Amino acid sequence: MLETDDTDYLREFIEKNKAVFFDAGKMKLDFSDSPGIDSVPGEILYQFCRQLARAGVKCTRIGASKSIDTLFASFKRHESASISKKQQVGMHEHFEDLGEGVSTFLNTLSGLWFFAGETMNAFIGLILRPLKIRWAMVFYYMEESGVKAIPIVATLTWLLGVVLGYQSGFQMRIFGAETFMPALLGYSITWEIGPMLAAVLVAGRSGSAFAAEIGTMQVRQEVDALRVMGFDTFSYLVTPKMIALLCVMPFLVLLANCAGIFGGLLAGTLFLDLPASTFISELGKALIPLDIIWGMIKSIIYAVIIANVGCFMGMRVRGGAAAVGKATTAAVVLSIFLVIIADALLSLLFVHIRPGLSL
Amino acid sequence: MTALSVTGLAKTFREKSGDVHALGPVSFDVPQGSFLCVLGPTGCGKTTLLRTIAGLEVPDSGSVDLMFRADGRQPVVGYVFQQGALFPWMSIHDNVEFPLRARGNIDRITRRMRVGAILEMVGLSDFSSSYPHQLSGGMQQRAALARSLVMQPDILLLDEPFSSLDTRTSQDLQENLRNTWKEAATTVVFVTHNIEEAVYLAGEVVVLGHRPGRIVRRQTIDLTDPRSRLSREFTNYLVSLRRTFKELVEEPE
Repeated sequence: MLETDDTDYLREFIEKNKAVFFDAGKMKLDFSDSPGIDSVPGEILYQFCRQLARAGVKCTRIGASKSIDTLFASFKRHESASISKKQQVGMHEHFEDLGEGVSTFLNTLSGLWFFAGETMNAFIGLILRPLKIRWAMVFYYMEESGVKAIPIVATLTWLLGVVLGYQSGFQMRIFGAETFMPALLGYSITWEIGPMLAAVLVAGRSGSAFAAEIGTMQVRQEVDALRVMGFDTFSYLVTPKMIALLCVMPFLVLLANCAGIFGGLLAGTLFLDLPASTFISELGKALIPLDIIWGMIKSIIYAVIIANVGCFMGMRVRGGAAAVGKATTAAVVLSIFLVIIADALLSLLFVHIRPGLSL
Repeated sequence: MTALSVTGLAKTFREKSGDVHALGPVSFDVPQGSFLCVLGPTGCGKTTLLRTIAGLEVPDSGSVDLMFRADGRQPVVGYVFQQGALFPWMSIHDNVEFPLRARGNIDRITRRMRVGAILEMVGLSDFSSSYPHQLSGGMQQRAALARSLVMQPDILLLDEPFSSLDTRTSQDLQENLRNTWKEAATTVVFVTHNIEEAVYLAGEVVVLGHRPGRIVRRQTIDLTDPRSRLSREFTNYLVSLRRTFKELVEEPE
């Protein structure tokens, strides 16, 4: 009979002769002389059989007593039970995580919806009484979010204009259609790239700054202090930021459009031998005032989204400095996500209102 | 006359890890012009109680009733936070003047006079043009107290305002606060976990038990002014409340 004392011998034996069994392609366990087996060596033999079976080696038992069969059966039962339990728990956890994630996201969106409602309420109240607006703060945020964003917005859209102009023009030249490049560039920049890039940059620069500023005030209980003093935090903290973004975003988009188109013009004249006069006349034929105005209209919606998301994330901060960092990241991610969703919806509308776009 | 009436106030926070029943139900009345200390261990819901009274939290059940002013106007509530919560971009003078400017109906001269008087009362006249970061913790708390008092509040709520200060500064400020309370004749609700602070300051102490905070004892502190921490009566109250704290509050949840 194999006893627990034989464990080391058994392990050694298996280790030495492993290769022989793998090469033979089969293994017989002869229990004729052994009326029983202890559970420890039994487990070692069972695991070795499993190992062989996975490698395609057939493993049979000969002359095994009822107790040995029962022991092996119990190993098998235990293993399959633990595997199925593991799988169940795993799937359950995955679904739970997924559900929790969706629920958190929906809660955030519904919270944002109510927050935006409060902001708009305060905004309308202030528009009716413009003297109540904190103009000093509005100008401060206009400078921070608008004036200071000019270099980066202009540089990046100009670069994108160059790349887009060169790459599209290069492909079009194969078909002798490079004169259509200005139109393609004009449409891409004014419809999408200009407003979108300006929005992404403002979300990254200002949306995050709004979240960090209000979040820090939350942590230091300054927002609570304002509320206790009877201030409407929406009028005091949120609307100046939104009004500032509403004022600067259309101009940032206009700037982005000009810089992008200028980049395309440069690519045309430098790399594609497209004269500037041709570029301008082709662009003039393609674009209509609505293309420019549409980008500016979109930017107003983006401004509302970015200001609200930034301030909302800041207001939600609870705890310490780490929460402020998380809120800042979340503000940028959610702003860009919602800006892209809004862009997709507005594009559907644009197809119907812009002459020459309907199918 | 009751300045503040709290009836069946309860609050549960919904957290990801489960609901946290933070407070109550709690009921008590605070007579006009009295000094009430809410005493309890950390995490028993004292701050939640104070924030709910101030309207910073919405209770799940119960109500907070504040007595209206004699002229029928809404009562003014002042709040001093644990960390002062002064605005770092404003000087001490501007910080204290801020709530008055926010009201909009007080002219500049009156504002200046009131701010000057209140800064003198808390001993910060020489620091009116300093910024919060230039002041010590104790001075910042005094500025925060001045900012709350300048509104001439009907009820002043203080949330462990001296807990992060050293003993000496804390005791000075306690004396300062008690004198200020007597001068301003306002109703004060002061939250603390420091028994000695509660006995020194309060006319009445309400002891809250472990979360969810419920009142386990009410004790009137009948000491004559000026209060001495070395007097026998003071020690008796201190020992009695310590015993309550030990028996009722620190027992296993």
